[in-house]
Amino acid sequence: MSGVSFNEAILELPMVTLTIDGKKIEAPANTHVLQVALKNGIEIPHLCYHPELSVSGGCRLCIVEVEGYSQPVPSCGLACTDGLVITTQGERLYELRKNVLDLFISDHPLDCVICEKAGACLLQEYAYEYGIKETTYTPTISSTLYQDDNPFFIRDHQYCILCGRCVRMCDEIVGVHAIDFAKRGFETNIATPYDGPMIESTCVFCGNCVQVCPTAALMPVSRKDKGREWELDHKTTICGYCGVGCQLEYALKGDEILYAQASPDGPVNGELLCTKGRYGWDFVLSPERLTRPLIRRDLAYELGLTSEPWEQPDTSPLADRQPKIEDYFIPVDWEMALDLVASRLAATVNEHDPDSVVGLASARCTNEENYLFQKFIRAGIGTNNVDHCARL
Amino acid sequence: MTLEKLERMAQRERQRQEKFERRIFCCISTACLSAGAGQTINALQEAVDACHCKENDVEVVQTGCMGLCSRGPLVRVEDKSAETLIYADVDVDLSQQIISKHVPMRKLTDESIPEEMQELRENLKKARRRKRLEKHILGMDSPFFAKQEKIVLRNVGHLDPEKIEDYLAHGGYSALRHVLQNMTAEEVCDEILRSGLRGRGGGGYPTGLKWKSMHQEESETKFVVVNGDEGDPGAYMDRTMMEDNPHQVLEGMIIAAYAVGASYGYFYIRGEYPIAVDRIRRAIRTAHRNGILGKNVLGTDFNFDAAVRIGAGAFVCGEETALIHSVEGKRGMPRMRPPYPSTSGLWGKPTIVNNVETMANVPPIINRGADWYANIGTEQSKGTKVFALAGQLTNTGLIEVPMGISLREIVYDIGDDVPGDAEFKAAQTGGPSGGCIPHEHLDTPVDYENLSKLGSIMGSGGLVIIDSTTSMPEFARFFMDFCVDESCGKCVPCRVGTIQIRILLDKIIAGSGEPEDLNKLEDLCHIVKDTSLCGLGQSAPNPVLSTLKFFLDEYIALIPAQEPA
Repeated sequence: MSGVSFNEAILELPMVTLTIDGKKIEAPANTHVLQVALKNGIEIPHLCYHPELSVSGGCRLCIVEVEGYSQPVPSCGLACTDGLVITTQGERLYELRKNVLDLFISDHPLDCVICEKAGACLLQEYAYEYGIKETTYTPTISSTLYQDDNPFFIRDHQYCILCGRCVRMCDEIVGVHAIDFAKRGFETNIATPYDGPMIESTCVFCGNCVQVCPTAALMPVSRKDKGREWELDHKTTICGYCGVGCQLEYALKGDEILYAQASPDGPVNGELLCTKGRYGWDFVLSPERLTRPLIRRDLAYELGLTSEPWEQPDTSPLADRQPKIEDYFIPVDWEMALDLVASRLAATVNEHDPDSVVGLASARCTNEENYLFQKFIRAGIGTNNVDHCARL
Repeated sequence: MTLEKLERMAQRERQRQEKFERRIFCCISTACLSAGAGQTINALQEAVDACHCKENDVEVVQTGCMGLCSRGPLVRVEDKSAETLIYADVDVDLSQQIISKHVPMRKLTDESIPEEMQELRENLKKARRRKRLEKHILGMDSPFFAKQEKIVLRNVGHLDPEKIEDYLAHGGYSALRHVLQNMTAEEVCDEILRSGLRGRGGGGYPTGLKWKSMHQEESETKFVVVNGDEGDPGAYMDRTMMEDNPHQVLEGMIIAAYAVGASYGYFYIRGEYPIAVDRIRRAIRTAHRNGILGKNVLGTDFNFDAAVRIGAGAFVCGEETALIHSVEGKRGMPRMRPPYPSTSGLWGKPTIVNNVETMANVPPIINRGADWYANIGTEQSKGTKVFALAGQLTNTGLIEVPMGISLREIVYDIGDDVPGDAEFKAAQTGGPSGGCIPHEHLDTPVDYENLSKLGSIMGSGGLVIIDSTTSMPEFARFFMDFCVDESCGKCVPCRVGTIQIRILLDKIIAGSGEPEDLNKLEDLCHIVKDTSLCGLGQSAPNPVLSTLKFFLDEYIALIPAQEPA
């Protein structure tokens, strides 16, 4: 195997040919039928399956007929083998899936008209597809627990369908395992250890559980009461926090950001984000956000940009008026700010020594930006005094 | 070296036992213990002490289940010069009568007797005159004993479960010795396959096939797990086996490990069985000390070690994939198969999971040969099955019968009919996953195929007899309640479907059902059966389905007559 890359190793897996709905498909052996079907544009309903996560098999919706089998089999855990003949639609499957959905709906409030997830809820989508208006059984909600014990997301258990995606995400990908199934039978729910507050668990609030939740059981606090899915615009952008460059999607209502999520086709991060990318965007519309360069008032007076001399404001907590940012700085345009920095830097280097300057780069810059920065300090200024905040 | 040592231990124990004129066995198994066997065995010992017998005259032995649990505490007296007798319902008074009848009191001068024993000796002398004793003798030729065939339970009730010497004296570990000295792993798998032994946990998968496929797996690490998570309400076959003859289970496990190439094993025992946990741990420790476990088992180059894992009482952990998760320290939830545990089990390594009773069948099969075993039972179900006979019967307890025996023989001969004026109505096999078998099918031979044809299952061996005073819909609801509570919550048909079945049953039993509710109930049962992930959900509707099939009139009677439109 030496000299063979990981990707090539996967490609070397023996390929098998199977038939799904009459279509001949080549797939690597031991991949699962559902995965292969979805990749080939064949839709099979599924709630607990998620391509990033291990197979659960709990929702029973992805059942398919396999030639030679008397009973339908869940396709999420069915390995592809040569000559497998699969049918994904049919009267029997339709009935079984409809019955399973009926059971799901019997334990799910039908308040879609006021639900913010409406339009992005998978259960709603399948109920629509299978024509389920209401349950034929006695509606019985297993848990009405509502937990808003943290500033990031709300856990509203009445909407939970126990697909376990959040549990697997937290355990398998984030590696934190802050939540798991608790209790048994109909009372089963998802909980932190001993159902303590989320904030006291090992949760890192990355919110990837919220991202994969198919219903409204896990919802960002920031979008509460602020509009339904179809009212929102989605803007794809790149996260500005670190050099990884995760692709993310802001859900906007007008100019206001309601929440952020990863866009599934992000080449770097897939459907994953960290706490900062997912929840750290409140600065965008903050009135305190700096949108123009500022220079200090004493310097501005020296340069003749203002006629008011600068005095240290009274910072005592007992003062009538607390100082604001305008008491220290005045806004200038970019040309002036850059000229000022360049001239003062040049003067310092000339007057003293290049080694009197130190450059400190940011972890939020890309590799390329950091490369340019150290080049500027080393070749432009002429010193090796350059470092990076991530080392501090 | 080890072998000689074991042989010497067995020899010494046999000689020791043979020296005694009479041995008095008192059952201290769960049922008898809760009926007061603790006081009984103390009273027996005190009375024996008071008799001041000669050395080697009498020994009181604590032992395991003798079967007729409804009549406990049971005491068996084995006398070299008299017939062996079993006494039932032995309380303190009766135990003094037994001793005064069977044990000669040594004449002593009054001075040499400690004062506190004087009174007891007087009591014993008086006890001889009382005549209550005869009524408590159980006839060994009564159908309860005569119809049984004991393979697994052969030594249960005959040896002290806490003494390895006693097990060795009864031929213990000879099968392991034979296997390690004379057989290859393939030969062991073949022998078990040839015997026709099938999994006794309920599934009925041929044990030999399971072992063989695991034997062929290429892996440096393999595991053996003994499933002692007996969860059916009222069933206590595995409990008795682990408590009363732990070494036989351990021996079976070591043989299984040798056959499949495993070097480590776990006993998975539910936490509600503290005595079983204690006895198995004790058995593991003594086996270790005597070279039966650990490095170089019995001086060969085979290494094997075992440990106990205690379950937290979830019924679903009896399902093998959930059990494996539980042993790993995770929440006991089943997963989809394939891959089967024999390919990817504990920590992703090949693992076999066998029930306690399956393991206990292994040493007798090796000792007496697959052909002998294959002669017992029916065409497809070989050997015997242990049942916990419970419910409305005169005789209830633990029985071992050959496969293929009819339910009629179990109910009327072994069980001695329903007591009182009530009549037999149905037999429920397989616990909450099983079904009810009505009177007209009483002649059905009890084996895997015939029971599943009737919509029930063999299960792990719970057998509850229901009499005519019981309402079948309510009986079905009892088991449904159990499944509602014990569903793990992973898949929706089992989690939500079972509660909807119960809601429908509640409605019908409350008398507010409508005729279409019965169809709805049956349809829902089939959905849960067909779409659930694991055996728990797939079999949870069985009690409802089988009562709907055989006792539909009881359901219909509960539906109020419809007003004509």
